Amino acid sequence: MFDFGNLVLNENMKIYRRARVWIMWGLMVLAVAAVSGIAYSSSANPPSMWQMVAIEMIVMMPLVSIFAVIVAADIVAGEFTAGTIKLLLIRPWSRSKILLSKYAATLLFGFFSMALLYAALLLVNIIFFGYEKGIKAAEVFGAADPAMSAWSYFNQSFFMQFISLIVTVTLAFMISSVFRSGALAIGLSLFVVLMGKTLGQLFGLIDRKWVDYVLFQHLDLTRYIGMGSSGANGGMTLGFSLAVLAGYYVIFMALSWFVFTRRDVAA
Amino acid sequence: METSAIVQFRNVTKKIGGKTIIDGLTLDLPRGEVFGFLGPNGSGKTTTIRMMVGLMRMTEGEIRIGGASIATDYEKAIRHVGAIVEKPEMYKYLTGYQNLLHFARMIPGVGRNRIDEVIRLAGLDKRIHDKVKTYSLGMRQRLGVAQALLHKPSLLILDEPTNGLDPAGIRELRDYLRKLAEEEGITVFVSSHLLSEMELMCDQVAIIQAGKLIDIRSLRSGDGSQEAVPVPVQFELDRPDEALAVIRRSIRPAGDDGGREIRASVREGLLVIDALREDIAELNALLVKEGIRVYGIRSKAKSLEDQFLEVTGGESVV
Repeated sequence: MFDFGNLVLNENMKIYRRARVWIMWGLMVLAVAAVSGIAYSSSANPPSMWQMVAIEMIVMMPLVSIFAVIVAADIVAGEFTAGTIKLLLIRPWSRSKILLSKYAATLLFGFFSMALLYAALLLVNIIFFGYEKGIKAAEVFGAADPAMSAWSYFNQSFFMQFISLIVTVTLAFMISSVFRSGALAIGLSLFVVLMGKTLGQLFGLIDRKWVDYVLFQHLDLTRYIGMGSSGANGGMTLGFSLAVLAGYYVIFMALSWFVFTRRDVAA
Repeated sequence: METSAIVQFRNVTKKIGGKTIIDGLTLDLPRGEVFGFLGPNGSGKTTTIRMMVGLMRMTEGEIRIGGASIATDYEKAIRHVGAIVEKPEMYKYLTGYQNLLHFARMIPGVGRNRIDEVIRLAGLDKRIHDKVKTYSLGMRQRLGVAQALLHKPSLLILDEPTNGLDPAGIRELRDYLRKLAEEEGITVFVSSHLLSEMELMCDQVAIIQAGKLIDIRSLRSGDGSQEAVPVPVQFELDRPDEALAVIRRSIRPAGDDGGREIRASVREGLLVIDALREDIAELNALLVKEGIRVYGIRSKAKSLEDQFLEVTGGESVV
């Protein structure tokens, strides 16, 4: 058939023609610059570049998740709330393809946000503190493996967090598709993102086998980085975590598609 | 499967939670007409339109548009259709032009030229690069019609298009829709609960009540169906009783030679006679010749409202 790319182009237009995305991204870059700038000017002995990168990564990563989740939660539900879904669906495209274009645009937004944070962290801190070579991950990120470089940890960390982001965003996308209310979708998804870690720890207290399969236990993949030769972390491996995430991913996708392609569009 | 009907409803039924919303609707929409879909609020008009454009599934039955089934061959069937379902809800944070570009991208063969063309058709040239949130309702309505016409559909579906428009806007839309049907051969399917609107706009009207199709009426004179029926005509005269006598005297009552029965009476000072169009002129000539002053003649053809109330039994209307 004709060009699917046009659908993604449309979804992108609807994301990036709104001020909110630029405000979110602007805030993100500004926050990185501000934190580094304050650390640079106010401290008697300024921190090293990688120290700042490590701190800011921990602070800013949830912000990226929050932004991506807001976009994901709004992309389907927002059209229902505004009523534009009716005009969108009565085109010579199946509902699956329209949903897929929305999902692709959502992932792209997550990717761009990550890339922007990645670039901002490196650039801002190199400008303020200069690039430091030969720093070990053990010094700044607290990795167990003494041989791993900070640069390598940084890259792996972004990769792992991108995987978690995909799962989180897919969850928000599913909520968006199932509940069809922008406010509810954003609220629920943010709750999951913000409470995820705490809930994970809470579940960790329960001594039952099923706890190992709870989503929140596996959203932080960075703990598997730089473990050296120890191999396992709290009895779990990266492979196991990825398998559990994949399982949830399939469920989220199936539910999104099932509901969106089958339900009547009323109201 | 080429037929003269652009849309075919066959026994279309919709049940939601055991409640029957649409009950066995069977209807053909002829090409190139403005077809009205009239019913009181809650009678199932919007549900029917949602099923036509695939926003809702039907429980039973089939809808074919241009020969393609909306349930099994959706992408083909929907290409014939341009529609506004309920309010013309566009992306408010985009400009009018970006909205049109958005929908143009979803259909092959709709280029920038065609976008400019529909902008001119809709008369939005001056404001097209402003954000839609700054548009008035009338402008949004026009933008809605513009997006519906982008791909030159053979069927235009408008759900309550006159809702919220001022009289000038309504008139403008009405003329525009008639023009589309007459000049471009587009079938226009309009739903409304406003009887008077439908009367001015439509060639035919289907009346629906409580999910059931109860009547189809032709509204255009000239197709012969209404011409042969005498309608009550009011004569405003100086001496109505005398006039009645004159008429009784002058016109032969129904007899063996095929003359018609005269149904004439005087009501509230007016002479009311059932007459055909041609008879009115002759009656007038007769009265004038007899020296009776004629102040006014009014044909009391039943308005759609009367017909509507008649067929729906006057219950729960409008």
